[in-house]
Amino acid sequence: MKLKLNFMALALFGAAAISGCKKEFSPSDPGALVPKTVEQNASLPSVAVNGTLLHAEAFGNPENPMVVFLHGGPGGDYRNGLNVKQLADDGYYVVFYDQRGSGLSKRHDKNSYSIQVMFDDLSAIIQHYRSSANQKVFLFGHSWGAMLAAGYINAYPTQISGVIFAEPGGFTWAGVEEYGKRSRKLNLFGEATNDALYIDQFFTGKENQHEHLDYKLNVTSSFTYAKGNAEGIEGPSPYWRNGAVVLNALLDIGEKQGFDFTTHLDQYNTKVLFLYSEYNTAYGLEFAQQEASHFPHSQITKINGTGHEMIYFKWVNVYPAALNYLNSLR
Amino acid sequence: MKKITIISLVLLIFSKISFSQQVNWRAFKEGQQHIINVNMGIDYGTTFGLGYGYKLKTKIPLIANIEYSFPGGKTMFDDFKTKFGGQAEVLKMGNFSTTLRVYGVFRRFENESARFLNFGSEFSTAFGYYKPKWYVAGEIGFDKAITTNVKHSQWAHENNPDIQDGWYLPTGGNFSYGIQSGISFNSNDLYMKLGKLITQDFKTSPYLPYYLQVGYNRRF
Repeated sequence: MKLKLNFMALALFGAAAISGCKKEFSPSDPGALVPKTVEQNASLPSVAVNGTLLHAEAFGNPENPMVVFLHGGPGGDYRNGLNVKQLADDGYYVVFYDQRGSGLSKRHDKNSYSIQVMFDDLSAIIQHYRSSANQKVFLFGHSWGAMLAAGYINAYPTQISGVIFAEPGGFTWAGVEEYGKRSRKLNLFGEATNDALYIDQFFTGKENQHEHLDYKLNVTSSFTYAKGNAEGIEGPSPYWRNGAVVLNALLDIGEKQGFDFTTHLDQYNTKVLFLYSEYNTAYGLEFAQQEASHFPHSQITKINGTGHEMIYFKWVNVYPAALNYLNSLR
Repeated sequence: MKKITIISLVLLIFSKISFSQQVNWRAFKEGQQHIINVNMGIDYGTTFGLGYGYKLKTKIPLIANIEYSFPGGKTMFDDFKTKFGGQAEVLKMGNFSTTLRVYGVFRRFENESARFLNFGSEFSTAFGYYKPKWYVAGEIGFDKAITTNVKHSQWAHENNPDIQDGWYLPTGGNFSYGIQSGISFNSNDLYMKLGKLITQDFKTSPYLPYYLQVGYNRRF
């Protein structure tokens, strides 16, 4: 009909006018909207363990006590945790890896992810990098990474020589829900909330279309550091690529099955260190005490002048607390 | 609430037997050819909208309409959606009626990471029961984001230097299904519609998988 043809002509004219000579892409094109993973870019540092390929690197003398950094998310990456490599100058062997389906590590189908496979990957990473059976291994976890650390020592209490927890968001599903309510307050009339929702009509992805879904998560990640956010996050910190499918998978597991990483923590007799930030109103001393109460021996240290992304924005305050703790146990 | 720059209007009109998404056709009076609509609701966020409709002089009942809507937030005009197209009654049996709608869509989104300009289309059909003072109908539709121009911010390029600006094709699609109902008095209509959204693969959903709209029409 005439009206339909006029509309189509207008649409095509508008598209041509705006596009100029720009190239056309598909959202699925590797590297176009999100960086390539180690499976797509062989030049990235990686290790093949436990049936996957993980983006990983290590700093320092491999003979030294190992510190494995566990990034947040799920689905984040270790890029904004790289300050931790300074510990390599203090006699530690610092290992970073993007967890399965996260960062620049290989992607898998949603139904393949489980909490156990995340534990198995960590075991494999430790096995890959350790130089001797009696080499001490410490875990330094941030946010979800700290939750993963708790789950790991809950399952394998004799494997780890010490743990630093930087604001874990709950050691049980109930704890996760509680922290989520505190930290993710939606203002339905606010710019940040509507920016996070509005994008769903522009980009959609099938369940395992990683490029599409990871890109959407990248773009909407600005919600976490919106002005006035409860976690006191100062602004954007560098990242490579969010893993949307592993995030969705683990959240589904939490919602449908729950989890409890506290069942055997009372058997972990080594002192652990909890870090909490001054500006994270969703966490605070109360939440830290609640989580620390599961351990027989714990130390709680406040990191001033920063919020949840303390490792990136105020490493200068985190570093002495972390180093003193590690040195007390090496 | 932000000040609104009226860009377009829309929807409705029919003489005796037809209906539209937001107007009770059977309440429409002789000589009324224009309808102005204002609405608010949930449509991939909290949104506010304006619409205008004009009945064309065609053999089958046909309305041309345009709409403008925007989400909440303090930054004006960074995010919005415009729709332009038409709707026609394709089937009528007593008080039951079926309408088909076809729209072209142009929309914009911007945040700290990127700016999107999208050309798309929306197709929907509604089937319901209409009386002069009230109506109720069911509806299903499909919203396709056909091609999107992506321009990343300076920070996004610094964070990931290899990402590409340009046209991406295709980028998305969502199905919707729901119900609508309204009341009419004098030259005014009040209506509400609500329903669910699901991504075109039928396995995933938008983060906010529902839509809701309450609106007011003035016919003249």
